[in-house]
Amino acid sequence: MTTFHLPDLGEGLQEAEIIAWHVDTGDHVVVDQPLVSVETEKAVVEIPSPQAGRIARIKAEVGDIVKIGAALVIFEETANADAGTVVGTIPTHDQTAKTSAPAVATKRGRVKAALAVRQLAQRLGVDLSAVSPSGPDGAVTKADVERAADTIKKFGPLEPLRGVRRAMAQNMEKAHAEVVPATVTDEADLGAWPQGNDATMRLIRAVVAGCRDEPALNAWYFGLDQGRQLHSHVDLGIAMDTEEGLFVPVLRNVGERDASDLRRGLEAMKRDVLNRSVPLEELRGQTITLSNFGMFGGRHAALVVLPPQVAILGAGRIQDRVLAVDGEPLVRPVLPLSLTFDHRAVMGGEATRFLAAVIADLQRPE
Amino acid sequence: MVPGGNESKIVASFEIDFTRLLDIDGSLCGPLPDFAQDQTTLIGLYRDMVLTRAFDAKAVALQRTGRLGTYAPSLGQEAVSVGLGAAMAPEDVLLCTYREQGAQLRRGVTMVEILRYWGGDESGSDYAGPREDFPICVPVGTHGPHATGVALAFKLRREPRVAVCAMGDGATSKGDVYEAMNLAGVWQLPVVFVVANNEWAISVPRARQTACETLAQKAIGAGFPGHQVDGNDVIAVYHVMWDALERARAGNGPTLVEALTYRLSDHTTVDDATRYRDDAEVSARWKLEPISRLRRYLIAAGFWTKEDEDRLLSEVGREVEVAVEAYLATPLRPPASMFDHLYADLPAPLAEQRTEVEGYGGG
Amino acid sequence: MVAELSLVEAVRLAHDRAMAEDQTVLVLGEDVGVNGGVFRATDGLLERFGPERVFDTPLSESLLTGLALGLGAQGFRPIVEFQFMGFIYPAIDQVVNHVGRLRHRTQGRLTCPIVIRAPFGGGIHAPEHHSESTEAMFAHIPGIRVVIPSSPARAYGLLLASIRDPDPVVFLEPKRIYRGPKEDVTDDGKVLPLDRCFVVRGGNDLTLVSWGAMMKETLAAADTLADQGVSAEVIDVATLKPLDVDTVIASVNRTGRCVIVHEAALTAGFGAEIAARLADRALVELIAPVRRVTGYDTVMPLLKLESYYMPSEARILDAAREVLEYA
Repeated sequence: MTTFHLPDLGEGLQEAEIIAWHVDTGDHVVVDQPLVSVETEKAVVEIPSPQAGRIARIKAEVGDIVKIGAALVIFEETANADAGTVVGTIPTHDQTAKTSAPAVATKRGRVKAALAVRQLAQRLGVDLSAVSPSGPDGAVTKADVERAADTIKKFGPLEPLRGVRRAMAQNMEKAHAEVVPATVTDEADLGAWPQGNDATMRLIRAVVAGCRDEPALNAWYFGLDQGRQLHSHVDLGIAMDTEEGLFVPVLRNVGERDASDLRRGLEAMKRDVLNRSVPLEELRGQTITLSNFGMFGGRHAALVVLPPQVAILGAGRIQDRVLAVDGEPLVRPVLPLSLTFDHRAVMGGEATRFLAAVIADLQRPE
Repeated sequence: MVPGGNESKIVASFEIDFTRLLDIDGSLCGPLPDFAQDQTTLIGLYRDMVLTRAFDAKAVALQRTGRLGTYAPSLGQEAVSVGLGAAMAPEDVLLCTYREQGAQLRRGVTMVEILRYWGGDESGSDYAGPREDFPICVPVGTHGPHATGVALAFKLRREPRVAVCAMGDGATSKGDVYEAMNLAGVWQLPVVFVVANNEWAISVPRARQTACETLAQKAIGAGFPGHQVDGNDVIAVYHVMWDALERARAGNGPTLVEALTYRLSDHTTVDDATRYRDDAEVSARWKLEPISRLRRYLIAAGFWTKEDEDRLLSEVGREVEVAVEAYLATPLRPPASMFDHLYADLPAPLAEQRTEVEGYGGG
Repeated sequence: MVAELSLVEAVRLAHDRAMAEDQTVLVLGEDVGVNGGVFRATDGLLERFGPERVFDTPLSESLLTGLALGLGAQGFRPIVEFQFMGFIYPAIDQVVNHVGRLRHRTQGRLTCPIVIRAPFGGGIHAPEHHSESTEAMFAHIPGIRVVIPSSPARAYGLLLASIRDPDPVVFLEPKRIYRGPKEDVTDDGKVLPLDRCFVVRGGNDLTLVSWGAMMKETLAAADTLADQGVSAEVIDVATLKPLDVDTVIASVNRTGRCVIVHEAALTAGFGAEIAARLADRALVELIAPVRRVTGYDTVMPLLKLESYYMPSEARILDAAREVLEYA
């Protein structure tokens, strides 16, 4: 910082009056640029700047009488801060912008419907989530809403399917649309069984025997590609009805596991299903399914093959019946069996041979 | 025009004259024109230059203290603007840039209006005085065509009025300016193009702007005369402008006047000229500045005393203060007024937007 | 006096009428005088009104606009002709920076009552750059009007209104329909309203919105739909800016379905503005999304492929079917 003092103006004058300033604080001035006009006895004199620099402070005001040698102006040496523009003011920010982690989108289970459709549904008292959408992109249309309203008027409100029941409805519809089912039935004479034989374990083993004899039933068929995949191992789906709905958890690789392991697996599976703690993975990948519906009742049934599987074996209720054995009528425990298969991928002969192998295995004592 | 004869020859040439009447030291170096024989006229020119500079300095100070937006100072160029403004008749029309404050003030635009404009209030361009003058032109050179339109209006109505288009050296590179000059020449329009050559277009020096030796000769390309004048000699500026205006008024077509001066300030209050030019160069040009030059002449001619100077500086200081106070006391216009004067009658879709603004900021 | 006129003849007639009634109306442009304009829009005006009303200017679009502005500020009403929209772009500087602003920045002290006219649009197998349809650029600029006639009668009435309007108007003439179809035009000096859409055809099932030459294909599509038992309402926007969206909304409130047709490219085309306003104000009435049938976001191809770029009646019908079958 340098100070500029009122210079000697000559003529023996000791002081001068400030008449007008020509510069202001903050101005950058150059050598010889007029700073101020002062009045002496003889004249009004412009005082030029002795140096280039920025005016830091003006030390006298208009009207002041300033003595020769008194401070007029203080210069600062620092350069002007770069404003970075020629017009306006561009703010600088003190902090650098923080980069934030990108937001992870959470899916919302919303029904797709145009606003007018929503309003209509509201007006007619229709629950949009219960309406089957027929519009593009899965959107509910006006017609859908009107149809639903009609149904409600005739039959009362619909109980909308949710969760597992809803999934079952959708899966069965899909299966029906694709699969060409055929069913062959037969029965096994369990007279040779010892007491306390675990029927489920025997059934599992029998299915494995069937798959070994006729691998065509332990396969996946893909209709669109018209190709099938035979499986070397048996991942057996076990159909389970619960209050919530139908579950088909998978017992992996049943062909290579011993009975106690299988039993443990089965118990764990039952527990998990009842607790609704089955991981999603364990509900997928069945190569063939067993439905032990006979626990509740029923003899034979045409069951539903869920693609890409090609077969499902149904075991009905074990009942004592009179059979002809070696020409003689005998009371025997009989297990009715039904095999439904996808006739796109499995031939009748393959199916019957499979069933025969299953029965042969079941009819063995152990 | 195909020249007759078989030989090659010169078919066109041109001359550009330079006029200076007051030498750098304030002494006469040419014949004094009639108007300059009148002491009152000369003192009026001096006063207007002093006022322009004082107002200018005050505007810069206001910007520094956050009470004015960006401002373009005219330090060092007072003689050009005051000279051209003084030579114009009241019924002429001025189309100028942001550095002709002196001309605007001379023609009756008020200091308050200029401050309002730079302070960010459109009412600053609603001049109470010269009702037909154009508001200052920001996109450089785009007012050239406007000047031709105004001049054509005068010509069609047979009015002895002239449009004055004032611009800087940078503007002479602009297409619009060439197009305007071309039209003015071929249609013989009553327009005077004034180029205030202050040697800098922000940071681009004059030598980098064009290869032409003078800017005045760009008029030759448009088919009319161009003259150079010492822009820091207010008497010379007035004189050359007067001739050009009379020529146009008489129906003899356009002229280009190149006034040589120097931009002693930064381009705007946010520019820092030390980034691109030497302080030493600026110091040297202070010696050529216009106000002290005329003062020396006036004092030497016995027209001006110390008391006159004292009184003038005080008066001017007070005038500027009064204007600043009036500016600072200007009430803020209601935000919805941004929709006023958009169309003659605000169309319905915009009326909705206006209502919305009223809701946010009050009517 | 009624005559069967083409659109460009109606434009010429409006010039004639305006210039006869108001001495401040001037005509400026390249080739507008002796040649009567390359499309003959100003044919005969120089002979009738003389060289101090009709001016053949040098070639500079920016200059022309600024010249008109200067004249307008001085109380004249200049009509500036740009030969093709493809050459209008140097003028955009003057329009954005000055024409749309003059009244506002002087708080009404100076005004700009000018009309800028240009033929626009494709479909005439023209060389490059002569088929532009960039009306959306102008619609974005504050302080001006953008007006597009779609028929001879509307050209007459809207141009007269534009000339008499105290504010600047960009008047874009669809050159594909310059010479036909012809229509009865009454030279009565009556204006049609600016800032208003025209419901050209009433209907209840679907709203078709368009402007300019595409009105032709849009009306043809409406005819075909009528044969199929669908009644389509057809709206001619006419003044793009300021937009009379109320007329479109009233229609969509009844029909619930809207298809917008414009020749200009899709992205940021003016149809987007209308669609956005419908989403804002007619969402509860919409049964289907608002569809736009437009030119593509590509450079307009030359004549060999031009017809694939321009929206066709078939494309309009496809879009109509889509929205009709949507829900």
